[in-house]
Amino acid sequence: MAAMLWCSTSQGPIRSPEATPAAQCGPLRNWAGVRTVRCACKAISGLEVAVAATAAAASGEKGAGEKGLAERLRLGSLLPDGLSYKECFIIRCYEVGINKTATVETIANLLQEVGGSHAQSLGFSTDGFATTPTMRKLGLIWVTSRMHIEIYKYPAWGEVIEIETWCQSDGRMGTRRDWILWDLATGEVIGRATSKWVMMNEKTRKLQRVSDEVREEVFVHCPRTPRLAFPEENNGSLKKIPKLDDPAQYSRLGLVPRRADLDMNQHVNNVTYIGWVLESIPQEIIDTHELQTITLDYRRECQHDDVVDSLSSPEVSENGSTNGVVSSSPYVHDQELQQFLHFLRLSGSGLEINRGCTVWRKLAR
Amino acid sequence: MVASVAASAFFPAPSSSSMASCKASRSINESPESLSVRGIVAKPASSSGAVQVKAHVQAPPKVNGTKVSLKVESPINEEAPSAPRTFYNQLPDWSFLFAAVTTIFLAAEKQFTLVDWKPKRPDMLADAFGLGKIMQDGMVFRQNFSIRSYEIGADRTASIETLMNHLQETALNHVRSAGLMGAGFGSTPEMTKRNLIWVVTKMQVLVEQYPSWEDVVQVDTWVAPSGKNGMRRDWHVRDYRTGQTVLRATSVWVMINKQTRRLSKIPDEVRAEIGSYFMDHDPIIDDDGRKLSKLGDDNADYVRTGLNPRWGDLDVNQHVNNVKYIGWILESAPISILESHELAGITMEYRRECGKDSVLQSLAAISSDGCDHGSLETGFDCQHLLRLESGAEILRARTEWRPKRAHVP
Repeated sequence: MAAMLWCSTSQGPIRSPEATPAAQCGPLRNWAGVRTVRCACKAISGLEVAVAATAAAASGEKGAGEKGLAERLRLGSLLPDGLSYKECFIIRCYEVGINKTATVETIANLLQEVGGSHAQSLGFSTDGFATTPTMRKLGLIWVTSRMHIEIYKYPAWGEVIEIETWCQSDGRMGTRRDWILWDLATGEVIGRATSKWVMMNEKTRKLQRVSDEVREEVFVHCPRTPRLAFPEENNGSLKKIPKLDDPAQYSRLGLVPRRADLDMNQHVNNVTYIGWVLESIPQEIIDTHELQTITLDYRRECQHDDVVDSLSSPEVSENGSTNGVVSSSPYVHDQELQQFLHFLRLSGSGLEINRGCTVWRKLAR
Repeated sequence: MVASVAASAFFPAPSSSSMASCKASRSINESPESLSVRGIVAKPASSSGAVQVKAHVQAPPKVNGTKVSLKVESPINEEAPSAPRTFYNQLPDWSFLFAAVTTIFLAAEKQFTLVDWKPKRPDMLADAFGLGKIMQDGMVFRQNFSIRSYEIGADRTASIETLMNHLQETALNHVRSAGLMGAGFGSTPEMTKRNLIWVVTKMQVLVEQYPSWEDVVQVDTWVAPSGKNGMRRDWHVRDYRTGQTVLRATSVWVMINKQTRRLSKIPDEVRAEIGSYFMDHDPIIDDDGRKLSKLGDDNADYVRTGLNPRWGDLDVNQHVNNVKYIGWILESAPISILESHELAGITMEYRRECGKDSVLQSLAAISSDGCDHGSLETGFDCQHLLRLESGAEILRARTEWRPKRAHVP
């Protein structure tokens, strides 16, 4: 059993040459004849880490030891090639919803968390915006323009999931971040996600092209050859989302941001929009289906005093029916899927905040 | 001495009785572990040492190589939401977990004996997955949490909801680690047989400092008797790195019949299960006995109406998770207070639960007892009420506010 010895330096945790990357500690390894492989591996490493940390602290690397504490306890790290980041999360009881499994908002929060941890491990800003030094100098921040999440199996309370994330450039205007989620115990892929980001001036809120300077800062840490969470053709993340027809079949009007929905700049955070989109899904779908896919295009941001309407309509497939939409994803098998189009708008003006599309699969009750 | 200590668990007496000789000081800095000498000696069959180990090996829910699918093993019917309830069933119905968890514990114990793995520093076992463990004395459960980025509020510190969520998680994990997870939150097997559940009636939290992103907090929790037929659960949360207190909290629970919603005495069989976990420890927060008064439209300073639960607010019974109430309480506080002050403490009395279709109103009034709210340089109190549009009370609360101070890293 290779020990995953961590050395904390001022740049963040690096791996010693002897370390075995997490990816190699696969589900095929046997530890004492028991298939509780990866977690046992990590449990040992967690212990090793605690011991190593104390040793490091004792030998005078106090600052680094303290800084690395949360990182060690989080069990997240850059992969050896430095091009992606992996972290484990345990699902807590309050992150679980009516189906006894993690809610999609919990998953979205964890994706955000691991993205932030990745940025932090690369030395990007720790103010939550993952800005590079050049960006901060120019007053630029990243904003999400599209988010696409597919969940094949929702984790339950106490289960541990592992998320890998990486970023790469996306055209001239932006960057993309991809994620893959695994059930740590079984090693199966339980979800994938991808997102597109553009750069914006924090004060003027105007979009900005990614300059070569920023490109250098960011993309040195990204895979050179494109690596996609959704490599298959015609995958759902590329889908163009139409504006739904007026009047929408379902609606939930007058949604307001709560204090907890606001980020540090008093803007509504991305995950809240997911909750709003789901508000107009009818109860009979919520009771019998679970969300498989959500795609959101962010158009306009929302402030604390805005009032929002959430509109939904079932999406009609090519043959005119609303049932039996077949997904081209390799992780999804033939099953009856329900598809919806969504629209979030400001109540008064009707201005679009975002538009989206969701796919629901029947719950095996 | 041991006998009298054990007896006091079954028939809780005022703390000033025979315990005087080794009574813990009221200083909250004294950790409950130092009380282990006075702790109840009688423990359930699984020793704390074994439980400690289990908490590690059990991380992957696998039994004999197959993953236990928690969703499928659900023999207990979900209770259908019925007509008006007077007590709030705080947490979801974890009925399925008991069977799964027991199997896991047994399997894990077997696996562990096959392996010669001696922890190098048993007292500092890194809690690899944040499952927490019962401490050496067998009474206190400890779990660490690192503050995640989405748990931070607008002022860059962990929100009170985040901290309360941790309390809820450790309470559940404590019961699970003790092997006492019956059906429903905290219901032991004997309680489940009799259709009994715990419901929280009162909760009090005092916050000394709010942690920031990536801070790690260490949560200790334990239970104690409350009156003749109640239970108290206390928490002490510290900054893992500095050891300083983050918050202290205490809660009072009563036992009710799940069907009739009537108060119940603690049956002897249940006392036998849980009595050994009851610590004879003073409440970590002194009860000043102040009553929470009822607010109405006439004496409220601020009112926020039209508050709706979202899907993400609901637990498995489609009831609103009680931590969400705090968010609604704060909704009616004017933003000026939130910008200049921080919540130093909150006391809540739970009256009724609510579901997805409820529409709530949040009322708040700044307390006028001796406070000049023209000057906010010192702290002040607010009274709160959460109620349905129909007027039915969900929750009464009092919040204590102090001026924000610079966060000490």
